[in-house]
Amino acid sequence: MPTKKNRAGTLAAFIALLYYEFLWNIRKKKIIAIFIIIFAIATVQLAFTPIADAVANPPQTLQANSTFVFGGIEALTGIFLFLVGVATTMNTVSGEFESGTIVPLLTKPVSKTLVFAAKIVASVITLLAAYSFLVGYITIGGTLIYGPQDNLNLVPLGILGLTIGSMVWASVALTLGTLSKNSVLAALGSFGFYIGLLIGGTLIAAQLGASTVLFYAPGMGATGTTAACAGLERGGGQTFSTGTDGLASMLMRWVLNPGQVLNFCGFQFRASGNPTTTLLASDTFANVAFRDLWVSLVYVAGLLLLSWFAFRRSQIVES
Amino acid sequence: MPEDRAIETHDLSKKYGDRLAVDRLNLTVASKQVHGFLGPNGAGKSTTIKMMVGLLRPTTGSLSILGRGVSGDNPKVRREIGYMPELPRFPKHLSGEELLDIYGRMYGMSKTERRGRIPELIKMVGLDGRGKDRIGKYSKGMQQRIGIAQALISDPELVILDEPSIGLDPVGMVEVRNMVKDIVKSGTTVFFSSHLLAEVQQVCDHVTVIHLGVMRYSGTLEDISSKVMARRRLVIELEKPVDGVLAALKTMKFATVEANMNTYTLHLNTREDVRAEVSRAVTGAGGVILRMQEEGGGLEDAFLSLVGKEGMA
Repeated sequence: MPTKKNRAGTLAAFIALLYYEFLWNIRKKKIIAIFIIIFAIATVQLAFTPIADAVANPPQTLQANSTFVFGGIEALTGIFLFLVGVATTMNTVSGEFESGTIVPLLTKPVSKTLVFAAKIVASVITLLAAYSFLVGYITIGGTLIYGPQDNLNLVPLGILGLTIGSMVWASVALTLGTLSKNSVLAALGSFGFYIGLLIGGTLIAAQLGASTVLFYAPGMGATGTTAACAGLERGGGQTFSTGTDGLASMLMRWVLNPGQVLNFCGFQFRASGNPTTTLLASDTFANVAFRDLWVSLVYVAGLLLLSWFAFRRSQIVES
Repeated sequence: MPEDRAIETHDLSKKYGDRLAVDRLNLTVASKQVHGFLGPNGAGKSTTIKMMVGLLRPTTGSLSILGRGVSGDNPKVRREIGYMPELPRFPKHLSGEELLDIYGRMYGMSKTERRGRIPELIKMVGLDGRGKDRIGKYSKGMQQRIGIAQALISDPELVILDEPSIGLDPVGMVEVRNMVKDIVKSGTTVFFSSHLLAEVQQVCDHVTVIHLGVMRYSGTLEDISSKVMARRRLVIELEKPVDGVLAALKTMKFATVEANMNTYTLHLNTREDVRAEVSRAVTGAGGVILRMQEEGGGLEDAFLSLVGKEGMA
């Protein structure tokens, strides 16, 4: 017989909760679905050029590409990060309320804070695992197909950036799910938020150019260029999304070219002729990446704090 | 608070918007007691229990479990409680054994303790051979059983069962009842809510009746009938009406009499067995008794008088 006065260490209870969460994720097939989607996307990314070369008339010889992996990580942004993030957390809390499993869980000798913390940690680990799998697959496949790759030492930083960037959207879905206790509302609300930001961001960019307001918005953020604003219409230079979705790219470039300058340009549309382009702001990759990192972390922390507060205050009226 | 009290509430109230679900409930449940919490559907039983286990916050009042005040999120109090919710729902992707193992870990049970306890509980609740099956494949009755098992995983001092046999067939109800009796044998305090009179009557030694959020009675099952003195009647059927019988019965101070042809109904206001006295009076007046039957006075009648007929709906 077990002793009645067992005192569970917080760590033991936390590990039990993590185990509970992982079984929930894995057995619910949610994570398997995410991994399959990721696998499919990465496979398309890897196979597109060789297939295009093979079917071209005349068939082309596949060229070595030492930046395939680096570029592949930078290409993972926008809706992809959103979908993976939202799929990971949309029913993390609300699913328990919907199914009624929250009742036995919250009547066990674990605090609501510990339950919530386990859910967050499990979500972060799941995202980290998903992006490690994805980037690992791209790295191995890219090396085999396109030859030796440059800057592979930056791959872990890319995985970290993808995870944090995706966690911003995961936090949005988690917060909406905790407030509404409804997974569908959490998913649709997050999508509405995403679309709203996309439209809002596009309008701001169209009216004001890469307004500094967009430095602090989640998503694609402001677009920076390595070219001078004055000659932007003539092309040249590289452009980068510097929002939370572009964190992986920014973190890798922070290490690679910390001092390189990004210019953020404004546009003034005229009734006739080309719009005039003006320089709104310029900053180094190091500063942009640092700002991007803390903006992402502030969003994650703020949203999780709100979600935690709602979770702690929640009551089970129906069961 | 005295240590022999497992549950104590003081003016405990819960409001949902304008609706008062529980109204100034003052409840005391002694340790090692099987206490029935009886009331019709919507009486406030589940709301009260949810406040006890921390799923709901009281609007006003206070409550203590095993001598500890319950306020806010209090895992220490829950450590000593095993709770089975009404119509329990567990993660369908877990097996019964996995569920018990995870919950056991949350109670801080060691691997050795869990290895010993889980098969014991699986057997006790009649899920032998099905412990490794996913809960999603369990019937409703099996889910109730695993619900009882998870409430007992830590061998708690207090077990709270919210309508444990709701939705079960008669055989399942009997089995659940027997399980509760087994729990009681181990000296655990059991607080048991039900809207079924027969269930409470067969399992509990104490009962609290609640209706529309208000406590109507709390005491032993034996006392409830006598305190309420509800509708205890003695019905006498004679061979034929006899003039002197009614007059003889009316002289008895422990009853009021109604006559209908050859049937006489005595509404008793005593707890004594008066059948011999009545029989002598009737035969002394020349009546021949064909049938004498005592009606009412059981828990059902007491319950009816406490909650009214609308409560039985």
